[in-house]
Amino acid sequence: MNRRKMLSLLGISPALLVGTETQAQKKSKAAAPSAAKIEALNPRGTPPPIQLVPMAPRLASLENKTIYLVSDGFPGADHFLDQVANWFKKNIPSVTTEYRLKAGAFATDDPALWAEIKAKGQAVIMAIGH
Amino acid sequence: MGIPAAPMVTIAFKDLAKTNAASRGMPLQRIAFTPHPVWGKTDTEMYAYLDGNDPVSGKPVMKEVVDSLTRALTADESKTGSVVPPVGPPSYVDTLENLQQYYMDNGMTDFMPIVLPTQEKVDAMLKGTSHNPDETVGKLTPAQGAFPAWSFNVKQVAINAVMAGAKPEYFPTILALASSGQSALFSSTNSLVYAAVINGPIRDKLNMNYGIGAMGPFAQPNATIGRAWTLLSKNLCNGGLPGQTYMGSQGNIVNYNNLIIPENEKDSPWTPLHVQKGFKPDENIVSLFMGFGIQQGQGGKGLGAKPIPQFHEVLAYNTIPFATIYGALAILDPLVAQGLVQLGFKTKDDLAAWLQKNATAKVGDLKSMLFSRPPTGPEAASLTDDSVVPKWPRADVFHFIVVGGQTNPYHQIANMAYRMSVSIDKWA
Repeated sequence: MNRRKMLSLLGISPALLVGTETQAQKKSKAAAPSAAKIEALNPRGTPPPIQLVPMAPRLASLENKTIYLVSDGFPGADHFLDQVANWFKKNIPSVTTEYRLKAGAFATDDPALWAEIKAKGQAVIMAIGH
Repeated sequence: MGIPAAPMVTIAFKDLAKTNAASRGMPLQRIAFTPHPVWGKTDTEMYAYLDGNDPVSGKPVMKEVVDSLTRALTADESKTGSVVPPVGPPSYVDTLENLQQYYMDNGMTDFMPIVLPTQEKVDAMLKGTSHNPDETVGKLTPAQGAFPAWSFNVKQVAINAVMAGAKPEYFPTILALASSGQSALFSSTNSLVYAAVINGPIRDKLNMNYGIGAMGPFAQPNATIGRAWTLLSKNLCNGGLPGQTYMGSQGNIVNYNNLIIPENEKDSPWTPLHVQKGFKPDENIVSLFMGFGIQQGQGGKGLGAKPIPQFHEVLAYNTIPFATIYGALAILDPLVAQGLVQLGFKTKDDLAAWLQKNATAKVGDLKSMLFSRPPTGPEAASLTDDSVVPKWPRADVFHFIVVGGQTNPYHQIANMAYRMSVSIDKWA
C-alpha cells in the first residue's frame, strides 16, 4: 500500500505528502503585498424612474367626518383598529368610523375598496404590521 | 385615491415603511408609528399604544394621526415629477483589499470575500452565453407588489456570477435563475428559502454533484450557482437589506447559496422532475421551489418498521405539521426511492395520491395550526373537531426529488411549493 492510499484510508489528506509548505505559500512569500489599484464593475441593476405622487389635500378638521379604518390582514390589525375606533368615540365623538379588511395579500391592490372609500369617506387610516 | 390617508405602522417596520413610501413616490409620507407587536396584545394594551407616544417622533400617537390628516401640505409634499434612484458609478477603482471592503460595506456581498468583477473576468463570463451583454434578461423585486421591479441585462448578471466564483460554463444556468423573476431573498417576515432543482444533461456537463453530499459544500457548480442567485437577488433589485428590503425575522442559513439540487436521474427509478413538468429528458431545466425551509426526515413513524422501512408512512407523518400555504417537497436518497418502488409506488404520482389520502389530521388540530386550512364547503358542515380528514387538499402539492449517494436510505423534507420551471438551454 502506498503512502497516499494509506493516508486517504486514515482520513488524512494526501496533500500532507507535499510537505509543510505549499507551492502557494512559497509564491506568497516571494510576492510583496501590492498597493496597485484595480478597476471592478458595479453589480447593481437598473431601477425604474420614480414618479413623485403629491399627497391629497388635507381636511380642515375631522369633526363630523367618516374615516375608514383599513386592515391589511396581518394578525391583530382588526383588534387594533377596534381600539382606534374606541379612541375616536372618546376623543372626537362626531367622527364616524367604518372598518374594512383589504382584499388579498398585504401587497394586493383593492380598487373596489378604494372606490368605496372615495365615494363614502373623507379620510382613511390604514394599519400595517403584526 | 384623492382623500387624505394616514398609515399606522408598528415600529419593527419603520425602515421598510419609509423605503417603501419613497420607492412609490411619496418620500415624505406622514407615517405614525406604534410599538410592536399588536399581534397577541389585549385591547387594553393596544389602547395604551394609542394613548402613548410614537416611538420615532416622541409625540402622542393619535395626535400624530389627526395631525397627519389635517395639517396643510408643504410644498415638498405636493411635488410632482420623477427621480431616478442612484446606483453608483459603473465601476470602482481601488486596491484589492479596499474594494473587497467597499463591496462588503455597501451591501453588495453575502459578507464573505468575493471574486472582484474586473472587466477581464466579466468578459470571460460573457463567453459562457451567446446572448448580447446588453440584452435585457428580466426584472426582479425584493417582494412583488411591495417594491418596484428593477431591470437588468446579461452583463449585470455576469458581474454577479463572477463575484460568486462561478465558471463561464455555469452562466446559462445563472441566467435562467435570474430570468425567472424570483428573488432568492424574497422579503417576508417568514425567513423564506428557495430551491433550484436542476435536470438534464447539463448536470454531467458541469460536473454537478448529485451523489454523496450533493446538497453540501462539496462541488463548485452546486456552490457557486446558488451563491450567484443570492448575490444577484441583492444587487439587481436592491434586495437583502435587513429592515428595508428584507424582513425575515430570524433569517435562514439556506439563503447563503440556496438549495441547489441536481436530481440523480441515473439512480432514480422514477421520471425526473422536468419530464413530469412536460419537458423532454434531454432538455436542461431549472425548477424553482419556495417556502419555509428544509429538515431531516428521520425519526418519524414508519421508518423503524421491520424488516422493511415504511417510507411512505414516514413521509405522511412528516408532512402533517407543515403549513398548507406551501407544499411538501421530499428529497429522497435513491435508496429511499427504490424502496418505495418495492412498496408498490411505481411512479411519483402514485406516491402523491397515497399521501394526499393518508396524511390526515383531526379537524380540531387543523383549526389550531397556523397557515393550515380546515375543510370548507358543504361537506364541512357534517364534520366535528374529532373528524379525521386529509391534511392536504390536492395531490399536486407533493413533489419528490431523488438525490444522494446511497450511503443510507435517508430523506429530507421541505415545506416548500413549486413555483416554475425555466429553460437553461435558452440562455446557452
